[in-house]
Amino acid sequence: MQKLPETPLRYQEEGNVHLDFHGAVNTTIDFIVERYGVEVLHEIFAKVGKDVYVDLRQHMLDGHPEEMVRHWRHFFTREDADYDIAVSEDEIVLTVRRCTAYHHVAKISPSVSAHFCDQTTKVNEAIAEGTPYRIDTEITGPGACRQIIRRRA
Amino acid sequence: MIPSDHFTRFYNEVFKFLESKGQEDLDLYWLEISKNQEKHILDLIKTKGLQGMYEYWSVIEEEENCELDLMVDEDHLELHMHGCPSLAKVMDNDAAPMSRYCDHCAGWIGPIMDKTGYHLVYDVISRTEPRCVMRIFKDAEKAKEAEKSVQLLMGWPGKKAAT
Repeated sequence: MQKLPETPLRYQEEGNVHLDFHGAVNTTIDFIVERYGVEVLHEIFAKVGKDVYVDLRQHMLDGHPEEMVRHWRHFFTREDADYDIAVSEDEIVLTVRRCTAYHHVAKISPSVSAHFCDQTTKVNEAIAEGTPYRIDTEITGPGACRQIIRRRA
Repeated sequence: MIPSDHFTRFYNEVFKFLESKGQEDLDLYWLEISKNQEKHILDLIKTKGLQGMYEYWSVIEEEENCELDLMVDEDHLELHMHGCPSLAKVMDNDAAPMSRYCDHCAGWIGPIMDKTGYHLVYDVISRTEPRCVMRIFKDAEKAKEAEKSVQLLMGWPGKKAAT
């Protein structure tokens, strides 16, 4: 991987975080799945991956998956998640031991949607679609996962 | 995880899908979000009235990094949003904004005010400028009077207003 000069992320954020938004995501997921089905939910997440995260996709297309690393570091740090990122020659592995979003929803909502982590899986897939890389998301427990970037075979 | 910072851009995609299904679908969604928001604001309103609303929006001002002025007196609460981070992020977005993005605020707040016996007057001013004025009255007549001076009055499920 070639190292890119440090420039602000496309959606760089400063200031406070409002974690209750994760509760609204949870409500939205259940609303969409119950009324329209899980395929529609996945289509909406795919649009987030492709239409909102255009810049991340472009970096992946250009052979710069390290922009995903910067994105992960910025936002998982802002949300005070328990995570680490291992970068090796063959793969980049984000290990989330405690996802702030999941645990905040568990605290404030009656239940965490069975499809809550689809936001991660499906947005990752959409960001990587058509690029030289894939991003696989493995859910390893409640509010825990591994997200792995690998070059496609 | 979609970062909480990026929630509004996800919200925007949801709105666009629901708008393609029709107004009734949007209304049902806003009612669902309104129900979700009750857990954050309903007890404050029931126990402290306008002062409880002041407390709720004071937290929002801080956590959502809003530029706003908030005041409350015996009769009403008034919020002047000078820099709405929600609309600002949706406009600073590689995906197209939903043209009626601003409508969601009255969409969830209005039903809660109806339920608690308060009267909302929501002036979005312009759907492409990240500013608005929200007034909440105890008295229905004062709310009706305030509606006369708005620039772009919002409705919500159960109350029609601007188009």
